Amino acid sequence: MADFTPPVEDRRSITVRLVVLQVSLTLIFTILACSFWYFQVVQHEKYNELAENNHQRTISLRAPRGVMLDRNEKVLVENRSSFTISIVREHTKDLNRTIRVLSEVAGLDPKFVHEVVNRHRKEPTYRPIVVLDDASLAQVAAVLARRLESELPDVLVEEVPTRRYPAESFAAHLFGYVGEANEGQVESESLHSGAIVGQAGVEKIYNKLLMGEDGARRVKVNSMGREIETLEEIPANEGRRVQLTIDIDLQRAAEEGFKAGGFNGAAVVMDPRTGEVLAFTSVPGYDPNDFAAGVERATWNGLLTDPLKPLSNRAIQGLYSPGSTFKIVVAVAALEEGVVTPNFRVTCGGGAMFYGRYFQCHKKGGHGSVDMREAMEKSCNVYYYTLGNMTGVDKIHKWATLLGLGEKTGIDLPNEVSGLVPSTEWKRRRYNEKWYAGETISVAIGQGQVSITPVSLAVMMSTVANGGTRFIPQLLKAVDEGHGWKPVQPPAPKSQVRLKPETVSALHDGLFYVVNRAGTGGRARIPGRDVSGKTGTAQVISLTGGKQAAGRSERDLRDHGWFVFFAPRDNPEIAGVIFGEHNEHGYISAPIAKYVMETYFAKKDGKPLPKLAQPAPDPTLERDEPPAPQPAATVAAVAADTPVRH
Amino acid sequence: MFERRLYLHLDWLLFGAIVCLSIIGVAMIYSTTGNWRLPTTQLYAIVIGALAFVVCLTIDYRALTDKSHFIYLALLGLLVYVLFFGTSAGGARRWISLGAFNLQPSEFAKVGVALVLAKFFGENRRGAPTTGDLLIAGALTSVPLILIAREPDLGTAVTLGPIFLGIAYVAGMRLRILGALALVAIVSAPIAWNYALEDYQKSRIETFLDPSQDARGAGYQQIQAQITVGSGGLWGKGYRKGTQGQLRFLPVAHNDFIFSALAEEKGFAGVLFVLGLYLLVIWRSLEAARLAKDRLGIYLVMGLLSSFTFQVIYNVTMSAGLAPVKGLTLPLLSYGGSSMIATLASFGLILNVRMRRFTN
Repeated sequence: MADFTPPVEDRRSITVRLVVLQVSLTLIFTILACSFWYFQVVQHEKYNELAENNHQRTISLRAPRGVMLDRNEKVLVENRSSFTISIVREHTKDLNRTIRVLSEVAGLDPKFVHEVVNRHRKEPTYRPIVVLDDASLAQVAAVLARRLESELPDVLVEEVPTRRYPAESFAAHLFGYVGEANEGQVESESLHSGAIVGQAGVEKIYNKLLMGEDGARRVKVNSMGREIETLEEIPANEGRRVQLTIDIDLQRAAEEGFKAGGFNGAAVVMDPRTGEVLAFTSVPGYDPNDFAAGVERATWNGLLTDPLKPLSNRAIQGLYSPGSTFKIVVAVAALEEGVVTPNFRVTCGGGAMFYGRYFQCHKKGGHGSVDMREAMEKSCNVYYYTLGNMTGVDKIHKWATLLGLGEKTGIDLPNEVSGLVPSTEWKRRRYNEKWYAGETISVAIGQGQVSITPVSLAVMMSTVANGGTRFIPQLLKAVDEGHGWKPVQPPAPKSQVRLKPETVSALHDGLFYVVNRAGTGGRARIPGRDVSGKTGTAQVISLTGGKQAAGRSERDLRDHGWFVFFAPRDNPEIAGVIFGEHNEHGYISAPIAKYVMETYFAKKDGKPLPKLAQPAPDPTLERDEPPAPQPAATVAAVAADTPVRH
Repeated sequence: MFERRLYLHLDWLLFGAIVCLSIIGVAMIYSTTGNWRLPTTQLYAIVIGALAFVVCLTIDYRALTDKSHFIYLALLGLLVYVLFFGTSAGGARRWISLGAFNLQPSEFAKVGVALVLAKFFGENRRGAPTTGDLLIAGALTSVPLILIAREPDLGTAVTLGPIFLGIAYVAGMRLRILGALALVAIVSAPIAWNYALEDYQKSRIETFLDPSQDARGAGYQQIQAQITVGSGGLWGKGYRKGTQGQLRFLPVAHNDFIFSALAEEKGFAGVLFVLGLYLLVIWRSLEAARLAKDRLGIYLVMGLLSSFTFQVIYNVTMSAGLAPVKGLTLPLLSYGGSSMIATLASFGLILNVRMRRFTN
């Protein structure tokens, strides 16, 4: 082996180099230690927070909305569990890939998912963006399987409470529907984006009671987004249980009545003693369940463009001419103002001249001499032309208002519209024109500019029934704030007058005759129940005018039929209105009222509920009063003034 | 050969530090993986490594170095074999499958290169190495380096460079040449950027310069490493209580980023302790070089130590997010059988040199 021992000078130089190396390395290690000190001690707070953001996620726990019960505590609207699938972008590496894979797995349209994500792209990335509400179990299983394979760590599947409404759009316009809060609501009600709020009906107007408070769960997740443990949980507070004044059986009777009748329309049934609404419907409806878990665009567009306007709540938003039902108002005005007594007689010869124009009655030969009760029973136009002419439009307006027409009723539902009962004052303000006495003649039979909503007609009927107290129709009966039912203080009546006893008795008699004698309301007759009512027909063609009529099908031009009612004649307990859209005759609407009242009395007496008998067509029944022809000038004025007329 | 006297000169301090680091490594692998599968494998590797250590300690390093060209050629053969028949994973062929475990020849190439360069410079009696010597030594280093880089395993390939530089440095390479090499490196960087680097390598460097640019991709690891280290604080979150490592936010925590995981769970205190152990290992190894009986011993120690030291410094820097992420493990701590065996063998040789400082 060769001698490798280095020369001394060589050794020295090597030693120097080794020392240099040693010092340099020590320096490097010191610098490294300082760097770690800087990160771990100086900037510890910052990195600790980042680490916590990494592995802690706050999951919002949606609060179940309050359950809605009927007046007898039968469940109307409750909650069910559904699954939502969301994307949490915080841990997304490639959003396009996530959307592609998720769409494929769950069978969604990637374009739609992109749209949803884009709509929420400005929100914090930790907030889940719901791309699929109410996912099917198959979809949930498919997504979860991919999650287990760590393919979709940024996709979240949550079980959330979702509204369950009765099937077949039962009381849809009453309950309304829920949906994601829009931007305006998020701001004005300081909600979090994506909050579910009431968007129509009771859901909307009592949203604050029903909504509850969302909870939150802070969880520890791993880098795959899988939950490891729950760190903290703030439980969600369920919304308040609310009791509505609605009676589910009466409501069902009304709904079934329309189905059996085969026409659209609206019904509002009240307790005239309290103003509580017992049944409320508008047909056609929609299925609020479609909205409960996010409405699909196609469904929504379908509802929006449907010519039958299923989203329109006819009971509070439809404006129609009241037709002959308005004769009740004219009678009240004439009697209360002392213009005539109930015994005042007019001879009807099938028509009469007023202000140089001939106004027809619907009966060719005339009704002969009739007093007020008989005129009501037979719906004699000439009698009411005369009465209206004697009373004057302003007094009619005054009493119409006192009875509940021409104003919003104040029912606890959103977006009610106001009807119109003209007056000289109104015409001056509106057109800066004088009122012509001739116009009063049409008003007297509920034509002309008179327009009302079905709900206001129900209030009118309730006011007539109870003798002058104009209640504000009320849907909320009690609220459970967690300590049992607390009755809701009903709002004070809008106005309260004491109708003269002879007014009440004359009207009640007349309306009783309509149903129980030769009148047009025979189909609502219930033996022993003294049903009182009045039919009415609202012309469509003369109101909308030829111009608008041009675009409509024949069906759209047919008249609407009214039936207003209360029972029994003395001390009425139930009152309301049935509005039949394009069903041509008021008596066609009457069977629905009958069925509702039968149900009411059967329930009251503890008897089995009635079954709906299909009304056989009755050819012997006289055609309801056809509306009198309109003076041309009035038609034009109405056409210009009428915002929404169906 | 097996003289009792020799073992009185064994550097027990260095030995103790190595044992200590290996145990810490196993403990951290257990913490970051959560089960005993990988720690057990690592323990087996330590046992085999201990055997290699004993073998490398027992055979006189001079005898071993004498045969280094055979070892070198054998390793080149293995590296070529790997390129064609190696087991591939993640798009790289780096392993030879031996049934029970995979052998990574590139780890052993470090020892081979150190041996052959020590022999080459050690036989050279002309004082400071000439340019010609350096070129030959450079070529001896480059061949395995290129082979490893082709696998591709740029991280391991790069660790061969320090072997050459370390030995050439103590062999008395003129500092002018060192400066010139540095200059060449700087000048060639843009050329390498355009022609030599793979896209993923470029992106790693780009990402290092601005991690937020790619916070979800390559920058993710760097950002997470920094968060992991920083969130550890002074005393750490506690053993197996780290969130970053335990919940897998920190990638390959048992391997490339084991030091970050340690920093998270044991805090700055743990960092100082482990850095101290490494510094102790390096100091004692330098001491072994200083005390070596001959230049061969000095060069051998320097070659082995350079690669080791480079890897430790780079990995620790990377663990704090201060260097581009590269597949470079932390010797003695990171999970990896071949690396553990080769490293223990290296220290067998280093202790061998020190132990035999009085023998002839």
